[in-house]
Amino acid sequence: MNKTVKRGYIVNGLTAVLAYAAFCVLAATLGQEGGFKLIIAPGIWQCCYLILLAASLNLVLGFMGQLSLGHCGFMAIGAYTAALMSLAFERAGVYDEKSGAAFLAVLFLCIISAGLLAAAFGVLVGIPALRLKGDYLAIITLGFGLIIVNVINNLPFAGQNGLAEGSAAASLYATGLGFGSSDRVAYLWAGVGVTALCVTLMFMFVRSKYGRAVRAIRDDEIAAAASGINTGYYKVLTFAFSAFFAGVAGALYACCNASLSTVSFSFTNGSILNSTFVVVMVVLGGMGSLTGSVVSAVVMFLLNYQIANGAWVDALPGFIQGAFTYPMLVYAVVLIVIIMFRPKGIFGAYEFSLLRTPGELARRLRGLGRGKRANKGGKEAAAQ
Amino acid sequence: MKKKLLAILLALSMTLALAACGGGGGEEPSGEAAGGDTIKIGLIGPVTGNNASFGNAMVEGARMTVAEINAAGGILGRQIELLEADDRGDATECMNAFNNMVAEGVQYIIGSATSGATAAITGMANEEGVVLISPSATADDITTEDDYVFRSCFKDSLQGDIAAAWVQQQGITKVGTIMCSADNYSSGLVNSFTAACEARGIEVAADESTATMDAQDFTNQFTSMVNAGVELVYAIYYYDAVGAFLVPQARAAGFDGIIMGADGFDGTLDYISEGTDYSVFNDVVYTNHYDATDSSPVVAEYVEAYQAEYGTQPLCFAALASDCLMMLQKAMEAAGTADDPAAVRDALADTSVTYEGVTGTFNLDESGTPVKGAAVIEFTYDESVGGVEGLGTQLVTTISADDLA
Amino acid sequence: MGVFLQTLFVGLRLGSVYALIALGYTMVYGIIRLINFAHGDFIMVGGYTLIFTVPLMTAAGLPAWLAVVIAIAVCALVGVGVELVAYRPVRRKGTGMTALITAVAMSLFLENLAQAIPAIGPNPIIASQLFAPGGFRVAGVTLDFVTIYTIAVSAAVMLLLYVFTQKTRMGRAMRCVSEDKSAAVLMGISVNRTVLTTFAVGSGLSAVAALMYVAQYPKVYTTMGSLLGLKAFVAAVAGGIGLIPGAMLGGLVIGLVESFTTSYISSSLTDAVVFLILIAVLLIKPAGILGKNVGEKV
Repeated sequence: MNKTVKRGYIVNGLTAVLAYAAFCVLAATLGQEGGFKLIIAPGIWQCCYLILLAASLNLVLGFMGQLSLGHCGFMAIGAYTAALMSLAFERAGVYDEKSGAAFLAVLFLCIISAGLLAAAFGVLVGIPALRLKGDYLAIITLGFGLIIVNVINNLPFAGQNGLAEGSAAASLYATGLGFGSSDRVAYLWAGVGVTALCVTLMFMFVRSKYGRAVRAIRDDEIAAAASGINTGYYKVLTFAFSAFFAGVAGALYACCNASLSTVSFSFTNGSILNSTFVVVMVVLGGMGSLTGSVVSAVVMFLLNYQIANGAWVDALPGFIQGAFTYPMLVYAVVLIVIIMFRPKGIFGAYEFSLLRTPGELARRLRGLGRGKRANKGGKEAAAQ
Repeated sequence: MKKKLLAILLALSMTLALAACGGGGGEEPSGEAAGGDTIKIGLIGPVTGNNASFGNAMVEGARMTVAEINAAGGILGRQIELLEADDRGDATECMNAFNNMVAEGVQYIIGSATSGATAAITGMANEEGVVLISPSATADDITTEDDYVFRSCFKDSLQGDIAAAWVQQQGITKVGTIMCSADNYSSGLVNSFTAACEARGIEVAADESTATMDAQDFTNQFTSMVNAGVELVYAIYYYDAVGAFLVPQARAAGFDGIIMGADGFDGTLDYISEGTDYSVFNDVVYTNHYDATDSSPVVAEYVEAYQAEYGTQPLCFAALASDCLMMLQKAMEAAGTADDPAAVRDALADTSVTYEGVTGTFNLDESGTPVKGAAVIEFTYDESVGGVEGLGTQLVTTISADDLA
Repeated sequence: MGVFLQTLFVGLRLGSVYALIALGYTMVYGIIRLINFAHGDFIMVGGYTLIFTVPLMTAAGLPAWLAVVIAIAVCALVGVGVELVAYRPVRRKGTGMTALITAVAMSLFLENLAQAIPAIGPNPIIASQLFAPGGFRVAGVTLDFVTIYTIAVSAAVMLLLYVFTQKTRMGRAMRCVSEDKSAAVLMGISVNRTVLTTFAVGSGLSAVAALMYVAQYPKVYTTMGSLLGLKAFVAAVAGGIGLIPGAMLGGLVIGLVESFTTSYISSSLTDAVVFLILIAVLLIKPAGILGKNVGEKV
């Protein structure tokens, strides 16, 4: 077992590093070419923060079994922390253009601080979770998300009119992290790298003894406590861990977008970035599958982008186009249908692994005619 | 079986999405627009979502004006093709819509409705050399010198100053403000009004706020105003809250001074609860881009055409979007080309050009923001007519930018 | 004194509406242990039904508020529909969490469906005044008649619900289902029918809440139910969820807290304070003001 795990880490890790290097080379070659710069690079940035957001919520929702409805609150903390810090550094003269070693240092410092501050608030939310669970916790987290947005709006230095004694927005682009089109391409490696690193960390977390303890709490809290698991400690730890990555996602959001407003982090709004929608992504992908969260974040992004901007939508029959005018309606229906027919989400608790997945795929293709062993992967992952 | 079906469905939708994405990004974009017959103009606004009513007004106004321009022979003999995109009032969606349009070769974009969403694309407009004209992003720093960003509305600090100037003209010395701190428009205007009042020696004796623009009860806020003894309250909310809640509750709380608003009050008459005591709307005034009851031919024709087309009074968003198109048309004609955004930008940056739009006659300042006056409009209630029919608006005065000094 | 009284009256006005909504919330929660996030949106459905039926009533020469009868029917139908189409299939298969997520999805669905219906659209619609205006004047401050009506209606609904759940056959069945589903089945109670009735009654109540809400705040829009529903839920939780008198008390408390926060603490931090109070209540007394703490059986 131990040997297989080690081999798994080495093979998967090496492949990931190689894939990342190949991606960076590819991105550098495509560089400032129109379609890549305007559509693909911003798309990858958006996927990055959506992936982090969904995966980090999955730690709480899927692995610990606690519904959190205020996840975007942590993201808001991260985004505002990163934006304000970068502005402060810029005004202190640490960097004056978005390039060079000084800016890079500031960039990573901002991302890490965003995560840490969000994690601190994660601990705050984790403490009520010691006493409450299920519906009550859902309401607490929801309330927490509302409080954060409400307070940020009223902070004189961060609110709607805060970020630069004027409006939040344009100044973030001009001086702070907010990247324009070409910077978005130039720093794509950083965004993707941070995301990959964070997802790896989360993956290692859920596979470690911590992850096992957290899943034990989900399956039966009283039995877990009776087996000597300090449930309170693990709950707060998971909340903090999850909030940390949501904070990092917020920092990436602040990089990708030239303007910040609290509307983007509310319970529901017009975009796919809101606390409700993150839950949708996690449920769709599979509660307890990080692979599922990653895939569903990307799929949801593509779907949403296509519905809003895809040229092929015009070619569809009228009534479908009509439905696409109200994409949120479509998502709500999809969510209900998924929950009804596959309550565990598309991937269930399945995780992708280079060692297992190819062989499994081959086996499954062979078995397709017989159509029996469909859920083998899920069972295996659950059995570990 | 069901599971397999779902998996296949998902795989299919993913490939479709990916293929379409590749298709959208990979096609040769700009060549066609440069030599094509039509001029592509993009329109980005919140057609769905919380600000949907602004976006829909924008779209209606723009469609009507495009049809008029095309019927009159187009710009430089070429027809306009209006491409619409919905940003749902969100910065990221706005950015995506912008990028997508630019990749399709659009070089002129009108949008978006709110400052927050517009700010997400102003930097990119400069970077890509795309002329961006916003109808209603009023935050001060949306437009700067030497850039591709313009607008057809006045900025917050000007509208706030105009309001303060009017207050000073009335000889009022003690005012109060109510705003929504979560809303850029509301807090931006109130902050600039407060600053202008202080500069003019008017005391701002009370400031209150609400958590959202959808707030439903303003009674406590107005009670504080009564206790502070202010003569006028500057309250920045939208028409739906003003007619249904704000004004009736203010009067019920015992406030009988002047309630002053801004362009968001435009359209209030359609949002008053039937059966309210309509006399509460006396002494309610607001600043606006234009006066819809104006008898000047430009405004009268516009309002008439709009009513014939859509059956309602145009919101100022519609008129402002139409003016964006008018500005663009004039600049293209001055530049003599519609294929060179840099030349069109230079034409727009010429501060000596005077635009005669629905929302006033104005020049742009160095940053690309109109220097125009505002109409101060008051609600009137005619007791002898009674009922909703007795309610109307009338122009009190117009304050031009020159009057401010 | 004037400010205090005014604040008190505003608090009662808000609180009476919250109380009325919270009653429906707590009723459904008490029976099936599901936070029905869509409950706030039933208010929206009721609001729009009133908008469209009030003119019919006045045209027929009847008092406007009688439109609530139609609204109750529509809301009950929608509630039963939601239960049949979404909640029941999910409850049969999934866990409490999946049911909760379905409720969130249902709320999203109703709000966006309303916006997609042409007669409703994205613009708010303003209702006409449903009751004759006026009120008592106490020390120069007015307490609206509508506020008093709302409190009276809430109290009446509370009493009726109490009698219904305690004294009638169906009510006893409801309490039985809420306590132990499998035992209820053994006693010959049709769980499905009981839950369906609960939904019909709870949703019908939201139409009454919509009437009283629209009478005081005559603006109807598609997302009106979301924050309203949340606050009402907070009220239900604060009072002790599942407890009918608790919902009434919780509603009034939340309304008063909101109003006094606006007047005496900060008018822009109202929402934050309301939710902070909720968190505090839950931490100190998780079962709510009137609730009893029950330990979990192993």
